[in-house]
Amino acid sequence: MYDVAVIGGGLLGCAVAYHLARAGTRVVLLEKDELNRHASGQNAGSLHFQLEYRMVADGDAAAERAARALPLHLDAQRAWAGLAAELDAPVEVVQHGGLMLAETADELDRLRRKASLERRHGLDVTVLTGAELTSLAPYLAAGVRGAAYAPGEGKANPRLVTLAYARAASRLGADLRTGTRVTALTREAGGWRLTTTPTAAGRGARTDGVRAAAVVLAAGVWTAELAAMADVRLPVVPVALSMTATAPTTPFLPHLVQHVGRRLSMKQTSDGNVLIGGGSPAKFRAVDGRIDLETAPELRYESLVGNADAARVVPAVLRLPVLRCWSGATTLTPDQLPVLGPLPRRPGLYAATGGSAFTLGPTYARLLAETLLTGEPSLPIDAYSPARFGFLNAV
Amino acid sequence: MHDVAVVGAGPAGLAAVDVLASHGARVLVVDEQPRAGGQIHRQPPATFAAATVPAGRALLAVAERADVDWWWRTAGWGVFGGHAGLDDFAGSTPADRADGDGPMRLAVHGPDGARTVRPRAVLLTAGAYDLPVPFPGWTLPGVLTAGGVQVFVKSAHLLPGRRFVLAGAHPLLLVVAAQLVAAGAEVAEVLLVRRPRAGALLRMLPAAAGNTGKLREGGHALAVLRRAGVPVRFGTRVVRADAGPDGELAAVVLAAPDGTHRTVPADVLALGYGFVPSTDLARQAGCAVRYDPAAGGWVVTHDRWQRSSVPRVSVAGEITGVAGAEQAVAEGRLAALGLLADLGLVPAPRIGRLARPVRRDLRRRRRFATALAAAFPPPAPAPADDETVLCRCEEVTAGTVRAALRANPHLRTANGVKLLTRTGMGLCQGRSCQPAVCALIAAETGRSVAEVGPYTARPPIRPIPLGTLAGGDP
Ligand SMILES: Cc1cc2nc3c(=O)[nH]c(=O)nc-3n(C[C@H](O)[C@H](O)[C@H](O)COP(=O)(O)OP(=O)(O)OC[C@H]3O[C@@H](n4cnc5c(N)ncnc54)[C@H](O)[C@@H]3O)c2cc1C
Ligand SMILES: Cc1cc2nc3c(=O)[nH]c(=O)nc-3n(C[C@H](O)[C@H](O)[C@H](O)COP(=O)(O)OP(=O)(O)OC[C@H]3O[C@@H](n4cnc5c(N)ncnc54)[C@H](O)[C@@H]3O)c2cc1C
Repeated sequence: MYDVAVIGGGLLGCAVAYHLARAGTRVVLLEKDELNRHASGQNAGSLHFQLEYRMVADGDAAAERAARALPLHLDAQRAWAGLAAELDAPVEVVQHGGLMLAETADELDRLRRKASLERRHGLDVTVLTGAELTSLAPYLAAGVRGAAYAPGEGKANPRLVTLAYARAASRLGADLRTGTRVTALTREAGGWRLTTTPTAAGRGARTDGVRAAAVVLAAGVWTAELAAMADVRLPVVPVALSMTATAPTTPFLPHLVQHVGRRLSMKQTSDGNVLIGGGSPAKFRAVDGRIDLETAPELRYESLVGNADAARVVPAVLRLPVLRCWSGATTLTPDQLPVLGPLPRRPGLYAATGGSAFTLGPTYARLLAETLLTGEPSLPIDAYSPARFGFLNAV
Repeated sequence: MHDVAVVGAGPAGLAAVDVLASHGARVLVVDEQPRAGGQIHRQPPATFAAATVPAGRALLAVAERADVDWWWRTAGWGVFGGHAGLDDFAGSTPADRADGDGPMRLAVHGPDGARTVRPRAVLLTAGAYDLPVPFPGWTLPGVLTAGGVQVFVKSAHLLPGRRFVLAGAHPLLLVVAAQLVAAGAEVAEVLLVRRPRAGALLRMLPAAAGNTGKLREGGHALAVLRRAGVPVRFGTRVVRADAGPDGELAAVVLAAPDGTHRTVPADVLALGYGFVPSTDLARQAGCAVRYDPAAGGWVVTHDRWQRSSVPRVSVAGEITGVAGAEQAVAEGRLAALGLLADLGLVPAPRIGRLARPVRRDLRRRRRFATALAAAFPPPAPAPADDETVLCRCEEVTAGTVRAALRANPHLRTANGVKLLTRTGMGLCQGRSCQPAVCALIAAETGRSVAEVGPYTARPPIRPIPLGTLAGGDP
């Protein structure tokens, strides 16, 4: 009998397991594949603390609502700065600042309103134009009229972060079981029984199932499927995205670059490659007319072109060879806020997913672990409670 | 608008084009090389045309056909839209630069930049490349593939050095050594890691009917070497390659069957361990693959008409298994016949009749290829030491991969190791390091190479400038 079973070996699952193990909890993590092989290892690695394009595209009311996650942004900005020391592992966190660009008068206006909203929530962000912008970011195209500059933004390396959490969790006694798929969740006296089956990724994975007083669903795009095993409906929507990576080049792009008017995130990794993403869609495979989450989404030619077109704001990038494009899937929620906390009327069952769960992952995980351990997270998480979708489960 | 786009103008592709175009199909051929022939151009034309591939000249003549579109120096770098799936309504719709209106796009990059075509079907005939087997010093200047040396000798009549050692596992080494001798080079030794398995050699005899060209060529090469006094040793392997003061290859350290080491001075070490099917474009397209060590590793699976698991994508030649030029030709013909029927260009009963002799020929070729592969199996390509570089592009050593596996005991697949260590993330996208990395992971985790899996292939399978993709002026 474990104190907590964590389902999902992505950033959220591994980080929750780490925080729980550090507090002396007996924790088991169950992952159907290898660790870090889904969204957490496929994402852009942006540390973006400004509101994203998709959050400010639909007017001020929607932006105000999305801004309810800003306390998490502020917390994450601090959390990343100390992460390498905390985990005693390289995670390549660089916080040299981020720029969100505007190319039209309209975009510049949206940028200004966005920045003042963010400042009200305590984010350090300034709109730069003219010579000020050119001297900070000489690599930008002439057509860029202005940019919102947030000095705490940056990047981290998704290839390394999740596994660093996993190794730390394992050192602290967490039991990490890969190649183990959870197929049923059953409520029983004093907790939950998890039925598991081994998959090809396992190393002689056990099939005897697991019992635990509490269960954390940190299963990325599969979280709704797992919640359904406990007869709970969660409105989280899987979205397929694509990324483009160029060949490495000498460092020239110290900042995270985003765009207020369209999908774009761009950064140069410490290996020198430029990563371009920001939301251009990939295409879920369908099997028998249904979305197949197990197969990596198919890349769309239009999205590769879209990523390349978006990169025009940094002209030097256009000369670089594209090495590779890839796809991944992440979860969005109807109100763009995370799903974080206990599930109503399911004692001991918790969920964490949705939103920018890489950038905010260390924060989500710590707050959820605190909720499990003491019931009192260091920041209020009520606004992100799965209970806000309780009406879906009233029947 | 094309009925079929063929990627690769080697023997398989050319044979297919001939059949397709002769039956009225509109065909586009792309090949990253400047001319037709594939690996055939590594072979001396005389051998090629006479003994090895009797139809060689006729095949090369196919590339003269004016009713076919030939795009040279043009790489196929992605196949899109082969699968059913959810299309995203939010997707940006850039100006459509595709020609044709088939369901699938083939993205290519050539002298005029990047573009896409929408043929009704795609035939992948991308061939095979030399199996890299890393050992200490394998990245030194002066260490070449046997195929690479042959290109020098053949196309430039130029020797890339003075004193040669040839080492590996493939009988091709004997042929290359004989060519070097004929070209006036000093060949110090020819080393094969294994003596051909006697049982397997015997089994080749019945399969040799109609395949005598290759046997004759091998015998001829051995005779040339014997006359020139070049020692051919079995059971000897390369331990390491040492550099001289100029940083280039100066000597090769060899291990005899009894384990004793000796040093042979040389300025070229030519390696020939075998061939690896070029499955990257097919895997990127989503075609199912199967691990078949005797056929060179991961091979694309297909049905009896050479159709892959992806609708309207057929495959032929060495991407379905390394088996020589004649088999590639037969598979190319068969694939073409299958496509002609599928696209409704020739009635099926007629196709059935045309296919019969091709199938007979193919069966004979397959028997011989299987026997040949069994006689000269390549060694497991994973180095024993930690310092050897596995991934040349990203400079990842065997020790780095071993340490990653130790520190992260859940890691068990090529993709998992790649993500953590960057092996296979460079310019060649893992073509070079995949066999060795997979063998190493298999050895360290006690799993089979099949379970370790290949790296996922993603577009672009050859690097293309971002600017051409954006349609901008780079
Ligand atoms: C291309 C792309 C770019 C992105 N860019 C950014 C970015 O720049 N910034 C940002 O903040 N976010 C970004 N994201 C989103 C971010 O990656 C995710 O929000 C985050 O990684 C989610 O982590 P996770 O641990 O919840 O999910 P995952 O990493 O997907 O992990 C969930 C795990 O649960 C396992 N699992 C599922 N079902 C079961 C089961 N039944 N039994 C056992 N295990 C199970 C899965 O195998 C998986 O390993 C991006 C996502 C993508 C795809
Ligand atoms: C040195 C050497 C000696 C050989 N000797 C013999 C022999 O004596 N007898 C024998 O039977 N066989 C021999 N072979 C093998 C024989 O050459 C091959 O079996 C045959 O060439 C395979 O034909 P193929 O059409 O499958 O592929 P290939 O000949 O490999 O042709 C593939 C073509 O596809 C092109 N291509 C690949 N990928 C792409 C892409 N993404 N975009 C565009 N173009 C692409 C390549 O440029 C190439 O032209 C030898 C091979 C070598 C290397």
